[in-house]
Amino acid sequence: MQPKSPPNPGRRKFLTYTTSFLGLIGAFFTAVPFISAFKPSAKAEAAGAPVKVDISKLLPGEMMTVEWRGRPVFVVNIPEENTSLVTNNLERLADPDMEDPSQPEYAKNDIRSRKKGLAVLTGVCTHLGCAPKYYPEAKPEDFDSKWQGGFFCPCHGSKFDLVGRVYANVPAPTNLVVPPHFFEKDNLLVIGSDGVS
Amino acid sequence: MSENTIGKKGLDWVDKRFPVIDLFERHLSKYYSPSNINIWYLFGFLLLIVLVMQILTGLWLMMNYTNTAEGAFSSIEYIMRDVDYGWLIRYMHAGGASAFFALIYLHMFRGMMYGSYQKPRELIWVGGWFVYVLLCAEGFTGYVLPWGQMSFWAAQVIISLVGSIPYFGEDLAIWIRGDYIVSGITLSRLFAFHVVLLPILIIAVVFFHILALHEIGSNNPDGIDVKQHTDQDGVPLDAKPFFPYDISHDFYALGVFLLIFCTVIFFFPEGGGYIIEYVNYEPANPLSTPAHIVPSWYYTPFYAMLRAIDFSLFGITAKFLGFVVMAAGIAIFAALPWLDRSPVKSIKYKGIFSKIFLALFVISFFILAYLGSVPPTETKNLLTKVFTIGYFSYFLLMPIYTRLEKCKPVPDRVGAVI
Amino acid sequence: MECDDFKSNVSDKASLQRGLSTYMNYCYGCHSLKYSRYKRVAEDLSIPLEMYENNLIYDGSKIGELMNISLQKDDAIEWLGAYPPDLTLEARLRRPDWIYTYLRNYYPDSSRPYGVNNRVYQNVNMPHVLEDLQNSLPKAEYDLLIYDLTNFMTYVADPTAEQRKRIGIYVLLFLTIFTAFAYLTYKEFKKDLK
Repeated sequence: MQPKSPPNPGRRKFLTYTTSFLGLIGAFFTAVPFISAFKPSAKAEAAGAPVKVDISKLLPGEMMTVEWRGRPVFVVNIPEENTSLVTNNLERLADPDMEDPSQPEYAKNDIRSRKKGLAVLTGVCTHLGCAPKYYPEAKPEDFDSKWQGGFFCPCHGSKFDLVGRVYANVPAPTNLVVPPHFFEKDNLLVIGSDGVS
Repeated sequence: MSENTIGKKGLDWVDKRFPVIDLFERHLSKYYSPSNINIWYLFGFLLLIVLVMQILTGLWLMMNYTNTAEGAFSSIEYIMRDVDYGWLIRYMHAGGASAFFALIYLHMFRGMMYGSYQKPRELIWVGGWFVYVLLCAEGFTGYVLPWGQMSFWAAQVIISLVGSIPYFGEDLAIWIRGDYIVSGITLSRLFAFHVVLLPILIIAVVFFHILALHEIGSNNPDGIDVKQHTDQDGVPLDAKPFFPYDISHDFYALGVFLLIFCTVIFFFPEGGGYIIEYVNYEPANPLSTPAHIVPSWYYTPFYAMLRAIDFSLFGITAKFLGFVVMAAGIAIFAALPWLDRSPVKSIKYKGIFSKIFLALFVISFFILAYLGSVPPTETKNLLTKVFTIGYFSYFLLMPIYTRLEKCKPVPDRVGAVI
Repeated sequence: MECDDFKSNVSDKASLQRGLSTYMNYCYGCHSLKYSRYKRVAEDLSIPLEMYENNLIYDGSKIGELMNISLQKDDAIEWLGAYPPDLTLEARLRRPDWIYTYLRNYYPDSSRPYGVNNRVYQNVNMPHVLEDLQNSLPKAEYDLLIYDLTNFMTYVADPTAEQRKRIGIYVLLFLTIFTAFAYLTYKEFKKDLK
């Protein structure tokens, strides 16, 4: 049969639109569990929980690597005599004032951490994710005759200073990321939490 | 709408390259369905929705599932507890399996009632039957994956059935298991079947089923061929376009279905032990069989048939004979188009025998479903035999009773009085 | 024997907390809850994480970890004859009323290794761990202790039950509205076919 034309087109329009709209809302809410299921699970959260590090045995000039969320975190004890190296080289850095938010607000200072003489840096080059190598001493190196100590990425030659600030004119675009951290006790560093709950 | 809107232009652009408008008209807006189809014609659409839901939820479950004997059970609990909304996705999938079978049984019954399998719809019916067989396999393989006690012992029993085949059965069973007992190796291959092979086949056959249907058009409760009477434009007089008339009906049905479905998965996700068996909350233990082992409710009629055969015949062992009868109980649906010799399609116009035998079939099916889900006793075994005969007599006697009975005349048009 | 009726109430946080404490003190030595995480239990039972960590984690595990026990399989078989099963899912496997009845039906039986037997689970391997409590507490108090314990086990077997029902109500409300409009739309279109 040929259907008759609707007796009340306005009513029809309202009903079709409302039903379709409700259907779309339903589809949207159905998508919620599916999207949520992609978030890190309780297992991943537990694996990515903050890690505690005893730094009492970290001697001046030494660096230790701690794993947090499957990535290396460099904890560096910067000796007293090297702290001047951090500030004497600023003109060669791309972002010495740390405008880029690669550190928590409390680490936006010239040592980039909560504690003087200690650097806490995610050991992942901001270029393509290699782990930079630690060259602490200020002496001429193959890759830089005026090296002032810091990190050098072997993959593509990016350079960072002792507190992880990137040099200008290298492939890496931003400073090394400072993970959230705090000191539970004087020698007990917690990586992965700002310490406020 | 004006001729030059961007939407119109875009549609034109696509249509010149891919026939969207033609497809839309052929399968929706100018696909005609009989004007007298009723509530029984809603289940096909719902089945399609459930199929999509099972594929989506299955995909998500697969992302977090571990297909090893050591990891399977705890990965299910990982999904249920640690994955955000994992519990909901799993309950949807488990409940969806039961819904799938409930709907497909109703859908099949509709076909039997109105003779939808008859000429010229034999291939639609056989295709649909094949979907059902694949679904049985899909349900079974999926059931094994949680690797609980029921999973393990169901796999053990079903695969052992194959072992009853004379001469090479035992070797075949070992080949299927890939091991001397059901093990992680078996689990892995059933997993591969469940998530890749069977879904691909199901989608392909469902596609075939719908394509064949759209070529011939729906049957209807009167079994009238609505294409015989058309108006001057070639539009069947006793039919209406699928879009929007059937689609609006289907969406209303979807609402009702989802109300029932969501009540179950949000408030009774275990379905009283019928959707998720309590025994399956114990990890698989090859050394101890649970006291009551029953298959999922949707297999129980066939499981009852298996148990009904406790005697050997013509030198065939009871074990193999039971397997044959059970397989025949599923296979025989495919033969319906050729068993039915009635000149009319619908039960409305068939004679008294057809009505009696269809009723017998339904009663037998339900009683066998019950008997298959309870522990056997002597009385129950006898009843199982009786109703197994009842079940098969609907099919096997059909060529006789459909020819003997007197049918009512079928009207020429929908609603016509004779 | 028939199980006594047990009606769980997993929204009763105080009961769950008491049940947890009984479980951790009397059951957890042998029966792990290895599919559950400390943190989840702490959060669901409204116990501050720090308090939980200090009082209810015995083996130095982190709060986010699974509730495993340190009992070794070989030791358990030597000492107890069998490895005590994990009980995370016990309330779903055997049902809460079974647990509730089982724990209240130990009786003295000198023929058994531990001098006790059980009316629900004949010749059970497990000693009556709560014997002292049963003897010292009035019956009503002991029943309440078991109620809380069973209630906790019901919770831990299905920790999403509360959330599930809460969401379920909204889903059904929404579907009712959707179905009503879908019905009206269907009726509206049907007018063309009269």
